[in-house]
Amino acid sequence: MNPTALSQSTRRHFLATSAMGLGPLALAWLLERDNLLADEQGRPELEDRHFDLKPKAGHAEPRATAMISLFMQGGPSHIDLFDPKPEMARYDGGKFPGEIKYDNAAQASSKVFASPWKFQKHGQCGTEISELLPHLAEIVDDVCVVRSMQTGVNNHGQSIYALNSGSITAGRPTLGSWITYGLGSESQNLPAYVALTDPNSLPVVGVQNWSNGWLPSLFQGTVIRPREPRILNLDPPPQLGGARQESYLKYLDQLNREHLDRHPGELDLEARIASYELAARMQTAAKEALDLSGETAATKKLYGIDEAGTADYGTRCLIARRLVERGVRFVQIFTRNQFWDHHGNIRSSLPAACRYTDKPSAALVKDLKQRGLLDTTIVHWGGEMGRLPVIQNDAGPDKIGRDHNTHGFSVWLAGGGIRGGLAYGQTDDFGHKAVSDVVTHHDYHATLFHLFGLDPKRLVYRRNGREQSLIDNQPSRIVREIIDLS
Amino acid sequence: MAKLPAELRDPIRAARDAAGDKRTPEQKQLLKDHPSVNVSAGSLYLYDQKAADDLKKYADRAAGIRAKKPVEEFVRAITEVPGKVPATLLFHRGDPDQPKQALTPGDLSILARVCVGGVPEKDPSLPTTGRRLALARKLTNGTHPLTARVIVNRVWMHHFGRGIVATPGDFGFLGERPTHPELLDWLASDFMNPTNTPPYEGGKGAWRLKRLHKLIMTSTAYRQMSAERRTRNAESKAGASGAASLPVPSSALRASEIDPDNRLLWRMPLRRLEAESLRDSVLAVSGKLQVKMFGPPVPIKEDEVGQVVVGIDTTDSAGRPTGKEVSIGNEEFRRSLYVQVRRSKPLAVLETFDAPAMEPNCDARTASTVAPQSLLLMNNEFVLDHARFFAERVRREAGDDARAQVMRAWRLAFVREPTDTEIKATLELLAQQVELAKAQPQGDTKTKGSKNDASNHDPQLQALASLCQALLSANEFLYID
Repeated sequence: MNPTALSQSTRRHFLATSAMGLGPLALAWLLERDNLLADEQGRPELEDRHFDLKPKAGHAEPRATAMISLFMQGGPSHIDLFDPKPEMARYDGGKFPGEIKYDNAAQASSKVFASPWKFQKHGQCGTEISELLPHLAEIVDDVCVVRSMQTGVNNHGQSIYALNSGSITAGRPTLGSWITYGLGSESQNLPAYVALTDPNSLPVVGVQNWSNGWLPSLFQGTVIRPREPRILNLDPPPQLGGARQESYLKYLDQLNREHLDRHPGELDLEARIASYELAARMQTAAKEALDLSGETAATKKLYGIDEAGTADYGTRCLIARRLVERGVRFVQIFTRNQFWDHHGNIRSSLPAACRYTDKPSAALVKDLKQRGLLDTTIVHWGGEMGRLPVIQNDAGPDKIGRDHNTHGFSVWLAGGGIRGGLAYGQTDDFGHKAVSDVVTHHDYHATLFHLFGLDPKRLVYRRNGREQSLIDNQPSRIVREIIDLS
Repeated sequence: MAKLPAELRDPIRAARDAAGDKRTPEQKQLLKDHPSVNVSAGSLYLYDQKAADDLKKYADRAAGIRAKKPVEEFVRAITEVPGKVPATLLFHRGDPDQPKQALTPGDLSILARVCVGGVPEKDPSLPTTGRRLALARKLTNGTHPLTARVIVNRVWMHHFGRGIVATPGDFGFLGERPTHPELLDWLASDFMNPTNTPPYEGGKGAWRLKRLHKLIMTSTAYRQMSAERRTRNAESKAGASGAASLPVPSSALRASEIDPDNRLLWRMPLRRLEAESLRDSVLAVSGKLQVKMFGPPVPIKEDEVGQVVVGIDTTDSAGRPTGKEVSIGNEEFRRSLYVQVRRSKPLAVLETFDAPAMEPNCDARTASTVAPQSLLLMNNEFVLDHARFFAERVRREAGDDARAQVMRAWRLAFVREPTDTEIKATLELLAQQVELAKAQPQGDTKTKGSKNDASNHDPQLQALASLCQALLSANEFLYID
């Protein structure tokens, strides 16, 4: 093909798709969401260079249509919360019999530290849960605890990247970006992918946690602020709203499209055009979604919004439910920087972290269930690592802690086709390494994709002359054992 | 106290003298029933007007004397105790409760073989150890392999959006490899020992950043356009713009296939303005920019919805709004560089456009494209105010003729002339906005907090402000191509 022919076909192609795909702005936010949904069209086969957030069919019938990930940044101690190791009591205070993979070898001890907290069986299923998580214990029949997670890499940043973007290096698209790239969003009035950050600080690797990497910027996560007003600038001054704003936006859209014509293929420019359309609709939709005044006192109590210790995180969990209810595809809630990184003072700081998250997290599952949303919403609770069975910081009982452990740790999942009442996988007798039914970050991603009806090998993005994917040809398996087959 | 029944005096005295949070409920009740025992400076006038007047006189005199107190011009600095060499201990995970072995000053051990000079434990010629001075000298003695490379890489990054080493804070094993290693070496070497000092530097140019900027910005790489080559060709065939038809080498067509991330810089990357540049550009175009340098920072405050804006915080000590507005005059139009930075209170305009929170330090920013940015450009008071200022400027400079206004607005915002099609569309917008503004009931149009209400009764100016807002929120303004 000669160059001119290709460029002209590209240009024509763009104009054709933009007329239907991106659409003229005209009163977009006045249109009912359903009308927009009816407008669905697939991405063009020939040329994959224009993107939108309209809902798309996956490769198979989905079990899940949305996901809420409660990201416990820092690495919750699995052996004190989810993975009881009664054998360890015999060794408590003694030398660890074997080899330990320390992250911080210079400061390690090999003194075994058995969990000071009691475990008990709960629910019909009898999954054992630590006394630190009484609220999780109540919903354990809806929950699958995966006790054999493994990323096997050193340190927080790398393991966060592994779990959130499939690879230990920075710069790749995150899970939420991939899922919205593959499936678009059920809501055209709210961001498809939302990050709810903590009022105190951003998690380790900061904004990279919701980065679109090299996927088009349309698929990056939008932060909803951790305090009021959660989204700024939702209201135009009265005299500039309505018809005047429509006229301004229509003209702006025209300016931007002519500019894009001069810079074809600049996906960021396209994304900004789309972001004006979304912003126009968000003026009413986001305000409604974030207004919790219509929630009953009982619901607020359920999430712990009436108590100072859980109010912030509980509010974010409730917002997550409201967003998913309104068609947002992927929501991730982050605890603050290194909230669960208990190298020291674990006896006081781990219970505190549990008190902050346990009640609202369980409430989210209960609430989704009572609203019939749990069937199609995956809830994930977990951090980027677990912790070692030996003491770190051997400076007195109150000061001791545990070092990182990415070789075996636990997360829990619920809803969206996940089998409830299950404890899956095993670590060794000390909880150091996953030994049976190991679930790597690739397996985790393959399983999530499967539940969303996506084939991880077929959801690809062409770049650098090759097809890139979340799993990127790494060995992976769909963990069918944790999927509810009923 | 003397007026009270004798039996109450002691308990009331005890209640009054007790600390506020230590009082028993009975004591609190007593004080409530007998407010006269608890006279304060604020309630004195109720009991003794003359004493209150006296007190006020003294308070005024005290304030007058305080006002004469000279400003202390101290700069906070940390220094060593002379004659004492402090031991530097390694803290276990940074925990000062767990000191480990003592450390001596030094550079990265991997660099020991390639760079000259060490950092002595104590400089005998100085009263203090002189370690920091020694380190600074070592870093800049021309043999340190990182200093110049890191500096030129950062300058390069700010011009191109990405460094030659894409991880500006990590030149080590976990960082990215340079895309153009020879260029990095040459720039670093030339930065320290200029080979040909251009006349504009008047001679010497070693370690001169301005020279480095000029070198980069006059390079062929920097002066490329951002559009793909095949695009220029398509444009000219389609007759959409006046660009001349350029010969297209067959390889150019495939540049985007071979190197989609443009790592080899076959074109200039299209970049969004950084947060501060964006705010400053708005100020410059609206004609309000104050280029005053130095002095104390421009203060910030939270507005009524909790959005951080420039201005003086007038909330009371309990954080309640007092409704007072204290003008800071033209200070509010100073460059973003001069706006106070508080981690807990990032300026909303900057934060929304990815100004980092600096927790921890940020070595390379992201450039996000999200709806809150669009909302800001659509509805934020700062943007709306400056659209208005911009409109007033255009009318001042171009007169009342709509076409002349369009030409002027375009020139100011985009630094080019509009095409005929653009002029036509823009005149249509103006006509439409004038009609809509006229149709609005008077009196209803007062902008919340707007600083120039006169234009609310001026449909032409309102329409022009809408146009100006569109130009300020257009991609052509937000992106450098």
